Amino acid sequence: MKKVIELSINGDLYEVLVSPNQTLLEVLRDQLGLMGTKRGCDLGACGACTVLINGEAYLSCIMLALDGVGKEIQTIEGLNQTKDLHPLQKAFVEVGGIQCGFCTPGMIMTAQAILNEPEKPTEDGIKRKMAGNLCRCTGYKKIVSAVMSAAEPAGEEV
Amino acid sequence: MRLPKFSYFEPVSLEEAVSLLSQGGSAKILAGGTDLLVNMKHKIEVPSALVNIKKIEGLDYIRTHQGAVHIGVLTTLKKISQDPFLQEKIPALTQAAASVGSYHHQCMGTLGGNICQQNRCKFYNQSEWWRSTNGPCLKVGGKVCHVVAKQENCFSSYCGDVAPALLALESRVVVQTKNGTKDMALENLFSGKGLAPLALQSGELLKEIVIPEAVLNGRSSYAKFANRESIDFPIVGMALWLSPEKKEYRAAFTAVDRRPLRATSVENLLNQKDLTEDLIEEAGSLAAKEAQPVKTSLYSSAFKKKMMGILLRRALKETERGTQS
Repeated sequence: MKKVIELSINGDLYEVLVSPNQTLLEVLRDQLGLMGTKRGCDLGACGACTVLINGEAYLSCIMLALDGVGKEIQTIEGLNQTKDLHPLQKAFVEVGGIQCGFCTPGMIMTAQAILNEPEKPTEDGIKRKMAGNLCRCTGYKKIVSAVMSAAEPAGEEV
Repeated sequence: MRLPKFSYFEPVSLEEAVSLLSQGGSAKILAGGTDLLVNMKHKIEVPSALVNIKKIEGLDYIRTHQGAVHIGVLTTLKKISQDPFLQEKIPALTQAAASVGSYHHQCMGTLGGNICQQNRCKFYNQSEWWRSTNGPCLKVGGKVCHVVAKQENCFSSYCGDVAPALLALESRVVVQTKNGTKDMALENLFSGKGLAPLALQSGELLKEIVIPEAVLNGRSSYAKFANRESIDFPIVGMALWLSPEKKEYRAAFTAVDRRPLRATSVENLLNQKDLTEDLIEEAGSLAAKEAQPVKTSLYSSAFKKKMMGILLRRALKETERGTQS
């Protein structure tokens, strides 16, 4: 049975009518028009649909929309709070961590989840944690470099 | 890929969850969803209802009580893998949790969900379209098993990473039932049946895992061979626990049978003995006889058996080096 729920996405509250069998990804893209989150494998194996749920990396294609109630959902659209690009986005552009761009939103959201963790990220840690995000252009080296360079200033502040 | 239709419930207590699960039909428990929802997208599991237990408070904890470690079933794999106390005392568990799927799966996936994951098989974990070319296998309502053509048996493999670690650590599980809770050895949670891998009655669900104090002073590790290190289920996985002082050994394998297996003959061979080259070699050869894997993945039975020996020998040697240093 369909139900009206409230979802908190990028700091805004959205009221949406959803069926229990709708995934968060379907609601984000098809109902709310937030197309930044990509539909890749749709089976939780490629990471393209990564969003942040309370700051952690979740695969929105294998999460029910109903399960998002009461949680802080963040998508790529909500990453930069100013007109400028977010430091992670800047780093991806500057280092060249983008080829076709399809995997980029998922990559950046996973990277943000890694930066949200208390420990300073290491190159090895970034590689392990981002291994669930597939890039078919296979530009992994520059993606890891971009995350490392975005992590540096944060590390220096500590 | 749309999920099939189902009714949805969010109980706020274990009692309410038990009552919802006991109402008949084919209701399933939803926790992290990383296994169940993928299977539902493939239409290999089509439950009438999903009972989302994540709104039940007080099931997400790691604590010690009278020396034993108690972990709530809703504790995420990420939390377990990053817990400093567990990393120091029982690395087999943290290594196993860190080897599950990708980082995302570890953020979403729960301990209970990982233990209770569905068995796997190359004929089962496929899309509806793929399966239609072969006709349904026994596990999705067909009449024959495509791996081993015996009508009454499903040979799907249990492929969880965390269960072998917990088996080697001699863990117990607390199960919520209609009449309160019951405590059982983790080993008895697994039925050994491919069609229904868990020995739970309808309406029963896991509440917590208890790891006994006695294993906290040993050494342990989890090793996994998989296609890709980053995201795959194990082709063969093995957990080892040993106490150099007491000369006690526990080993458990995953992905080689319909349930995770304790390697009892290997344990019997090793117990009360010092590790020597010859003994490690002998244990490795014996490991291959602990299971009769069938070809549920792209890897042959012979390959899996060989890998069982290799993983065990490697783990024993690494532990021996640790002992000597």
